[in-house]
Amino acid sequence: MALARVEAVTYGYPGAPPALEDVSLELEAGEVVALLGASGSGKSTLLRVLSGLVPHFHGGRFAGRAVVAGLDTRRTRPADLAGTVASVFQDPEDQIVMTVVANEIAFGLENLGVAPGEIWSRVELALEAVDAIHLWGRRTAELSGGELQRVSLASALALEPRLLLLDEPTSQLDPDAAALFLDAVERLGTTVVLSEQRVGRALELATRVLFLEGGRLRLDAPRAEALAWLACERPAYTSACVGTTQAPFVPCNGAGGVGARVGTTQALLVRLADISFAFRPALPVLEGAGLEVRRGEVVVLSGPNGSGKTTLARIAAGLLEPEAGSVERGGTATYLAQDAGRYLVRETVLDEVALGVGGDRFRGRAALDRVGLAWAAARHPRDLSSGERERLALAAVAVSEPDLLILDEPTRGLDPPRKAELAAWLAAYAAAGHGVLVVTHDADFPADRRVVLGAAEASLAL
Amino acid sequence: MSPGPAAALLAAAGAAALLADRLAAVAAIALVLLAVCLRAPSGHRSVYLFGALSAALGVLVLSPFLWSSPEGTVLWEGPTLPVLGPLDVTTAELHAAALSALRLAALGLAFAAYALLLDHDRLVAAAGLARRSALAVALATRLTPSLERDAVGLADAVRGRGVPLAGARGYATLLSPLVAGSLERAATLAEAMEARGFGRGRATRAPRPPWSRRDRLALPLAAALVLAGALWL
Repeated sequence: MALARVEAVTYGYPGAPPALEDVSLELEAGEVVALLGASGSGKSTLLRVLSGLVPHFHGGRFAGRAVVAGLDTRRTRPADLAGTVASVFQDPEDQIVMTVVANEIAFGLENLGVAPGEIWSRVELALEAVDAIHLWGRRTAELSGGELQRVSLASALALEPRLLLLDEPTSQLDPDAAALFLDAVERLGTTVVLSEQRVGRALELATRVLFLEGGRLRLDAPRAEALAWLACERPAYTSACVGTTQAPFVPCNGAGGVGARVGTTQALLVRLADISFAFRPALPVLEGAGLEVRRGEVVVLSGPNGSGKTTLARIAAGLLEPEAGSVERGGTATYLAQDAGRYLVRETVLDEVALGVGGDRFRGRAALDRVGLAWAAARHPRDLSSGERERLALAAVAVSEPDLLILDEPTRGLDPPRKAELAAWLAAYAAAGHGVLVVTHDADFPADRRVVLGAAEASLAL
Repeated sequence: MSPGPAAALLAAAGAAALLADRLAAVAAIALVLLAVCLRAPSGHRSVYLFGALSAALGVLVLSPFLWSSPEGTVLWEGPTLPVLGPLDVTTAELHAAALSALRLAALGLAFAAYALLLDHDRLVAAAGLARRSALAVALATRLTPSLERDAVGLADAVRGRGVPLAGARGYATLLSPLVAGSLERAATLAEAMEARGFGRGRATRAPRPPWSRRDRLALPLAAALVLAGALWL
C-alpha cells in the first residue's frame, strides 16, 4: 500500500487561478523523490497538499483527494498530521520558533506529546543525524543560514516522520554546505520529497523524479527514465545537472557571450583595494580584500557563507564605507540585495520599478517588459510569487541602467531555464558597455572573471 | 538564574519605579537596570537602549511644556498658546518631568533586560497553562531584532536603486512595507508552527533543571521590591 496518494487534486489559492490541476501520484515508503519545475509551477503547493497545509491553512478551492498514511488530509488538520509528515520550508529564518537550538528541536516533540523523558534523547539523535550536535546550546539568532537549515532539518527529523517534505532547503547554502545537507538527507532512509532548483545533486539522490509545469504533472518516472526525458524535453535541467560537477553552464546566447569581449583597457567602474571592515571591533568581516570591475565584463564574487561577499558588494555599491583601504569609482552603481523580493516598498508593481527613475512610468513599463512582468503592472508587489518578486526586484535596480549593476545571490530559487536567461541578459547588459558584479554561490554562473573570498582575506583569480 | 525568577525581579523593578515618588530612588532603579542591560552583547543591546533612553529623553524635554504646575520657581516664561496654555517652565515641572522620564527609562530598560538576557524558551516552558500566551509574548519580543533587520534591508533596497533616503519623512515611507513584511513573516511562522503540531493538544514539556536557592530567594525579593517602591521609596 502506498504511503501517500494524491488523487486528481486541483487547487487554487483564494482569488487566484489553479496552482495545481488534476495532479495524481503515489509515494511508496523509502522513496526519495525529486520534485522539479519552474518557479511558480506548483511545487510548493504540492508539498503543502501532502502536509495538509493546503487547504487547511491557506483556504482556497480544493478538489480531489490526498491521503497520507491512511489519513485524508481534508479531514485531518496539519497539526494532527505532524509526526507522520514533517516539512522543511525554504527560508529557515521564518520557521524558527525558539531561541535556543535544543529547545527549537524539542518544540515539535512537545507539541506531539512525546514523553518528557524521551525528548532530550531524541533531540540529541536528530542533531547527530545532521552533524550539528555542536549547535545544541547555541542561540538560533546567532546561527548562519546553513546552520539554521540543518537545525530545521533536525527539527523535522526529531519527529521521526514517515514522509519528509523539503522545499528548496539548500537555497541559502554555499555548495559545500548544500552537499553536507543533502548527504544528511541521503542517510535518512525515510520517504523524502525534495523540491530543488539545484537539480544536479537532487537528481543524484532521487530514485524517482516528478516534473511540474503550470500546475500539471508532466513527468512521473524513475530516475534513469526521467533523465532521458529531461535531456530531450527540458535540456536546461540536465545541463545544470552535469554542470554541478564538471561541465560549464549552458553558454549564453545573444550579443557577445561571456568571455568574448573583455579587454584590460576597458574603463574602470569600481576598484576596491586592501579593504577592511568589521561590524564589531573584534570580529573583522573583511581584511585586505580587493576587487575591480570594468565596463563590458561580468565578474562573479564567490566564497563560503560568512566570507564577507555581501559586505564587499555593499562597499562596491557605496552602501557601506570601509574602515581601511581605497575605493575608486567610475560611474553609477545600483545594488540588488539578497532576498530582494522581501524588500519591496511601493503599492503597485509599476510604482516599485519606477521608483528608481524618479517615477518615470514609461521606463518602468519597459523594465517590467524585459523581465516578463508587464502583465502585473497594476498588482501589489506582495501578491506576486517569490520568483516573480525576485524578477521585479531585478527590474527595479536595472531600470535606471546603471554603469555598474551589483546583484547579490540573484540565482537563488531560480529554475535552470530562468538562470540561463538571467545569465544571457547580464552578458548582453555588459556587452552594451556596462559592468556587472554577481555575488553567488553558483560555481557555474558564467563570468569573465571570478573573485573568490576566503574566510578572512580575499584572493583574486583572473 | 532561571528566567522565571529573573523575569519576576525585572517586573518588580519596573513596578517599583512606577510606584516610587523619590527622584533618587527611581534614578537608582534605572541605573541598576542599565547596568544589567550592559551585560548583553553590544551589537544586540544598542537598539533597545536607544529606544528606552530616547523615549525618556523625549518625555524629559517635552513634558514641562505640555504640563503646567503653579508650584515651584519659574525658570523660563514663554508665550501662552491656545490649547497648551502658558509655555513656562518651573522647577516643579522639571522635577515631575525628570520623574516621569526616569520611570519610563526604568520600564524600557526592564523590558530590554528581559528581551536581551532571559531565556525565553524556558519562560515559555515555565508558563504552565498560559503557554500559548507566553509563546506569543516570546515571539513578539523576537520581532524587535527582525524588524531592525528588515528596516535595514528596506533602506538598503531603496538606496541600492540610487534613490536617496534621508530625514524622518524618507524613513517614514518604509513603515508600511515594514509592517506588511512583519505580517507576512508572522503568517509563514504560523504555518511552520502548525506543520510541527502546534495547537494539537496534549502537549508535554521537556524536563528543565530545577530552581536553585537563588531562584527561590528571588521571588520574595521581587515582592519586597514592589512593597518598598509603594511604601518607602
